[in-house]
Amino acid sequence: MRLLIVEDDAEASEAMSRGLTEAGHECVVAPDGEAGFNAAHKGKFDVLIVDRMMPKLDGVAMVEMLRKEGEQTPVLFLSALGEISHRVEGLRAGGDDYLVKPYAFAELIARVEALARRRETGSVQTLLRVGDLEMDLIGREVRRRGQEIDLQPREFQLLEFLMRHAGQSVTRTMLLERVWEYHFDPQTNVIDVHISRLRSKIDKGFDRPMLQTVRGAGYRLEA
Amino acid sequence: MRLPRLVRTTPFQMTLLFLGLFAAAAFAFLAYIYIATAGEAARAADAAILREARSLQQVYAQGGFNALNDAVIERSSSTRPFLYLVMDAKGQPVSGSIAKSPVEKAPDQEAWASFGLTETDTDGSRVRRPARGLEERLPGGELLFVGADVGEAQGYVVKIVNALWGAAALVIVLGLAGGVFVARDVSRNMNALTDVINAARMGDLGARARLRGAGDELDELAAGLNDMLERLQRSIAGLRHAGDAIAHDLRSPLTRLRARMEAALIETEAGRGDPEMALRQALDDADGMLRTFGAVLAIARLEAAASAPDQISFDPSELAAGVAELYEPVSEEKGLDFAAELGGHLSLRGNRDFIAQALANLLDNAVKYTPAGGAVMLRVRRRTSGEIELSVTDTGPGVPEADRERVVDRFVRLENSRNAPGAGLGLSLVAAVARAHGGRLELDEGPGAFDGKGPGLRAALVLPGG
Repeated sequence: MRLLIVEDDAEASEAMSRGLTEAGHECVVAPDGEAGFNAAHKGKFDVLIVDRMMPKLDGVAMVEMLRKEGEQTPVLFLSALGEISHRVEGLRAGGDDYLVKPYAFAELIARVEALARRRETGSVQTLLRVGDLEMDLIGREVRRRGQEIDLQPREFQLLEFLMRHAGQSVTRTMLLERVWEYHFDPQTNVIDVHISRLRSKIDKGFDRPMLQTVRGAGYRLEA
Repeated sequence: MRLPRLVRTTPFQMTLLFLGLFAAAAFAFLAYIYIATAGEAARAADAAILREARSLQQVYAQGGFNALNDAVIERSSSTRPFLYLVMDAKGQPVSGSIAKSPVEKAPDQEAWASFGLTETDTDGSRVRRPARGLEERLPGGELLFVGADVGEAQGYVVKIVNALWGAAALVIVLGLAGGVFVARDVSRNMNALTDVINAARMGDLGARARLRGAGDELDELAAGLNDMLERLQRSIAGLRHAGDAIAHDLRSPLTRLRARMEAALIETEAGRGDPEMALRQALDDADGMLRTFGAVLAIARLEAAASAPDQISFDPSELAAGVAELYEPVSEEKGLDFAAELGGHLSLRGNRDFIAQALANLLDNAVKYTPAGGAVMLRVRRRTSGEIELSVTDTGPGVPEADRERVVDRFVRLENSRNAPGAGLGLSLVAAVARAHGGRLELDEGPGAFDGKGPGLRAALVLPGG
C-alpha cells in the first residue's frame, strides 16, 4: 500500500514510517498541511494518515480542502485531542477514522489496513462470504459449510465486522468503537469473552479454526 | 504632565462635547433673541417716526409751510424723542433740532436712513448712538426730516446679549471645571481597576479591586473583575494541583520501568535473560502508564471543567442495557450471577460516553472483586427525589465504612485488592463524572455478609434527573 503521512513532529513521522515500511507499506512523509495537501493532490495514495494539529494548514482544514476537490482517499486522523466533539469534528471534515495519541502501533496498522480495504469493497453487499462461512445480511442468517449458526444480535454484528475485515488484524479498541460504539478502554477482558463466545459458535466442531488471536494486536478472521 | 492625560480621558472628552453642544445651542438662542428684539425695536421706531411725520404733514396741509415751521420749532424744544429738520426746496435747513440731514441725496418722494448720532453723555464722554430717520418731499417742494434715537431700545438688546454672553462664559468655565473634576474622579477609580488588571497581568492573581460601596457601574465592574480573578486563580490552582499529581503519579511506574530495563540490560550483557521478553515487558509497562496517564488526565479535566462537555438527553436504561450486554459474558465466565433491573424510559441529560464509562468502571470493579458464586446486579431507577440512580451491587468483600471516602481518591487501593489488576483510578473517575454532572457517587454496604462472603458493595452514581 502507498501511504501518505502528514505529521509535523519529525520523530513521530520517522517512527511511523519505519514501522509501516516494516509492515510492507510504502510511505511518503509531509511535514505540514500545505505539503500534505500538495502531495495528496499529486501522488496516488491508498490511505492518508493526518495529524490534526499542524503548522500552516491544520489537518482538519487540509482534509476539508481535499474533500472539496473531490479527493476520496480514506483519511485516518491522529490526534492528542480525544473528546467526542473533536472526534466528531474530524469525521465531519471528511476523516474516515480517528485515532487518539498515544496509540499502540498494532492499532495504527490495523486501522490503516481496514481503511484501505473499505475502499475496495465499496458497494452495498447483502451476502458476505469468508471461506466456508456465509452471512446473509438481509435474512440475518449465518452458515458455515451450510450448517446454520444461531447468533445473538451483538454476536452477529461482531462477526459481520470481522468478516468485512477478513484477513486483517482488528484490535479490541476497534471492535469496541465499531461494534459497541464505546470510546473507552475497559480494564477487564470484556471483548475477549465476547470473542471466545463467538469462536465457540463458529469454530466448534470444525477442524480448522477461523477466528484467530493475533498476539499483541487483537483478532483476525481467516478464510 | 497631569493635564494632557486628563484631557485624554473619556469623561473629560464627553464634557468638552457637551460644552460644545451647549455653546452651539446658546449661540442659536442669542441669535434668535437678537433678531427678534432688535428687529422689533427698529420696526417700532420706524412706526413712531412715520406717525410723527404724518402728524406734521397734516399741520403742513392745514396751515402751510409757516405752520409746519412753527410746529417743528415748538416740538423741537419739547421733550418729544424725535429729531426734526425742515429744509427748503434746495435742501437748505430752515428749522429743526439737527443741523444737517443724514440723508445724503434729497429724495423725490421719501427715503429712510439709518445713521449714527453723536452725543455728549451726562458724564462728558461722547457716545455714538444708532438712529433712524425718514425724509419726505412736501407737496410744495420743501423737505421734512423726522428721525428718532433707537439707541434706547437697542440698549436693552445689547444688555440682554451681554448678559447672555456673560452667562455663557460662566457656563463654560463651570463646565470645564466640572469636567476636570468628573474626569479626575472617574480616572482615579479607573486607575485603581487598571492597576489591578496590570498586577494580574504581571502574574499576581491575588490582586483585587476595592469596592467603594457606591453600588454604581464602576463597583459592578470592580466586582466582576474580582469574580473573574477569583475563578481564574482557583482554576489555575486546580490545574497546578492536577499537574503536580500527574507528575507524582507517573514517577513510580517510570522508576519501576527504568529499573526493569536496567536489570534486563545487565542480564542480557551477562549472556542470560531474554531481550525480546524484556522489550515486551517494557512495552506492557509503557502501555499501562499511558492508560494511567489517560485516566488521570480525564479525571483532571473533568475536575477542572465546571460541567461535563457534550451533554445530550438520553435514556439511561438504554445506556445501561448496552453496558450490561458488554459485561454479562465476562461476569458469567467468572461464575457470577449477573442481573440487570432497568426501569425503562427515563430521561437524563449528560455526557453519554462519560456516564457509560463510569458505569463500566463500576461493573469492572464488581466483576473483579466478587468471588465466583457471587452475584452482580445493575440497576437503573428514578428515585422519589427525581434523581436518576445507576447502581451496581455485588456480593464481594465490600469496602469498610471507614475507607469509603478514601477509596474514591486517586491511586488508593485497599489491602485486599493489591493483587487485582488496575491502578486505583476507577472510582475516582466515577466520582469525577458524577461531580461534573452535578451528582454524586454513593458507596454503601451490599446485601450483607452471608455464608462467609460479603457484605458486598453498592456503588451508585446518582445524577439529577433531566
